[in-house]
Amino acid sequence: MNNLPFEQRLEILADSAKYDVSCSSSGSNRRGTPGGVGSTAAAGVCHTWTADGRCISLLKILLTNACIFDCAYCVNRRSNDIPRAAFTPDEVVRLTMDFYRRNYIEGLFLSTGVTRSADHTMEQLIVVVRKLREVERFNGYVHLKVVPGADPLLVAEAGRHADRVSINIELPTRQSLALLAPDKPREAVITPMRQMSGLIASARAERKKSRKAPQFAPAGQSTQLIVGATPESDREIITLSEGLYRRLDMKRVYYSAFVPGSDDRRLPALPTPPLLREHRLYQADWLLRFYGFAAHELLDEDRPNLDMRFDPKSDWAVRHLDLFPVEANRADYEVLLRVPGIGVRSAQRIVTARRHARLGEAELKRLGVVLKRARYFLTAGGRYLGGIRLDGAVLVARLLAPEKRPARLDQLELFPATADASALTGEL
Amino acid sequence: MCYRYDGTFEGFLCAVAAHLESGGTEGEFLRPGVEAGAGLFAGDSRDVATERATALRFRVRFVTAVSREAFATLRYAFHSEAAGIERLLLRYVELGLKEGRRVQHMLAKEPVCSVYRLSRRVAHEAHRFTGFVRFREVAWPADGGLAGGDGRDGPAVSLMYARIEPETDILPFIAPYFRERLGDRPWMIHDLRRSALALCYRGSWRLVSGVSLAAQPGYTAGEELCSRLWRSYFQRMAIPERHNPRLQQSLVPLRFRAHLVEFDGVE
Repeated sequence: MNNLPFEQRLEILADSAKYDVSCSSSGSNRRGTPGGVGSTAAAGVCHTWTADGRCISLLKILLTNACIFDCAYCVNRRSNDIPRAAFTPDEVVRLTMDFYRRNYIEGLFLSTGVTRSADHTMEQLIVVVRKLREVERFNGYVHLKVVPGADPLLVAEAGRHADRVSINIELPTRQSLALLAPDKPREAVITPMRQMSGLIASARAERKKSRKAPQFAPAGQSTQLIVGATPESDREIITLSEGLYRRLDMKRVYYSAFVPGSDDRRLPALPTPPLLREHRLYQADWLLRFYGFAAHELLDEDRPNLDMRFDPKSDWAVRHLDLFPVEANRADYEVLLRVPGIGVRSAQRIVTARRHARLGEAELKRLGVVLKRARYFLTAGGRYLGGIRLDGAVLVARLLAPEKRPARLDQLELFPATADASALTGEL
Repeated sequence: MCYRYDGTFEGFLCAVAAHLESGGTEGEFLRPGVEAGAGLFAGDSRDVATERATALRFRVRFVTAVSREAFATLRYAFHSEAAGIERLLLRYVELGLKEGRRVQHMLAKEPVCSVYRLSRRVAHEAHRFTGFVRFREVAWPADGGLAGGDGRDGPAVSLMYARIEPETDILPFIAPYFRERLGDRPWMIHDLRRSALALCYRGSWRLVSGVSLAAQPGYTAGEELCSRLWRSYFQRMAIPERHNPRLQQSLVPLRFRAHLVEFDGVE
């Protein structure tokens, strides 16, 4: 399988890698070194976006797409009849450097199918990242996949060279995992995850004492869940994510709408990937991480799934109308964050600006606060901005079909706020 | 009084310093290439020389009186090249010197609000271009031996060359970023709109203005191969079942695509 021309192998391995949705290059801040190449930017940098609107930040590639596992949801499963290919570590290093020097990418995201054994496969990945760091003196971003069941010593070594490490849970419950991924017991995923969480925390503590202490995955660890391949509810998914964020200090949980690509009878027959559901899950995920929400506030036993009609924050607010409207000039930062349509940046600006000026509707607009949804939940200087009585049914109707303003008025906006697509693209 | 300056940020700071020193109330600014309007002060103008020391002194004064962040905001906003930016920034400076640190929090008031917006626009575009700059390897010297003599000194040297057409003047912001990242080899970023160039050689960079190409750059063989690999990788990474060109276009607007290798010949 190494006899194919390089270009063809690149295509095969890219095809096999693209279903992993993690793409971020953030969380690590490494300066360039004399004689070395590259640096990392704390906020991460997206370099381009493909025809499906997903960003390319890292060269996402498999070392090989041959795999001894047979996970039903995975395109690279043993029983799938697709062309197989492999790169040598030197080829990956060369390609990474060539792409990096042209500023196509922020670095490398290396994953692989499992060949021979978990340990052998993990060793191969480590060879690549060590060559990059030690021979090429590469300071750019490296995201390394950890192979389920790999030896703890190898896991520890991977984190010493990589900026971010990840191991994918893929399916939210033990039962689903046993059904669809019989070679991958849940322990083989959770154990290294726990180990890495411990190593990341202790390396961080050591770095606080001495700046020379060795780093371990400074950009933390992430994981991925497939949505729609198994019958779990949104509540189970979001509760699991909350646990991962709180207990394992996970940096990101990615959600991947299941793309049907097999006639395996264990899998549901979906006409299209559940993209809207994926989007709502990302919105809920953001509420957990940046808006101070808890999973049980968004979903409970009676409502196990997110409302597909509006975003989870609007949904929550409509069910808690007794808490609204709040006064923009007085409400605490945490309260402002819970107003639909107000994001972290708007809330920060409101809190900053109101120290020096009384905020009315005009001032809020000048700050760049988007009032389309927020107006129904805000008073500014004592005046309610919604114009209608706060009543559940009316409000829901308004939120679903916002009043169309004449196009002429829209043109007056000199600096229209750009839509926040980060939830869709998975950047940050 | 109307101040003529050379159009650079340093020059602008010198002009502002001159205006503040004169104690005048109204100030207008003229940069080269902008026609003098028949304004109030059209007849009364003065040329301001750009002196690094004066600009640095002004910077220290502003940072001490207000803050580093406010100075950064001022610098970003200046490079937006928006019409009337100088007068807006003069008001910002005057307010800053009067109000001190508070000024950067007065986001709901003019001129702070407008200055802040413009500075964010420039900062955002600069960040975007840290991802959108595409270097291409060109043979250097172009004809095989202009600078180095007869070519016996060693193999042909190559240079990484990138073209951009940003809406604002972002070269001063992205040049240090790329120096740190890729400064071990010579590179150039060419802003076609402003005929300006950031060039990095032996680990240090500088800006050159008024640049035009004498000949089209010739790409090396390695460059042709590498860009082909990138294009094919780029196309492969899209998942057909998730096809969403509208989302793609909102993230990579068409105006950026002319200089993005991966969009060459792609719909």
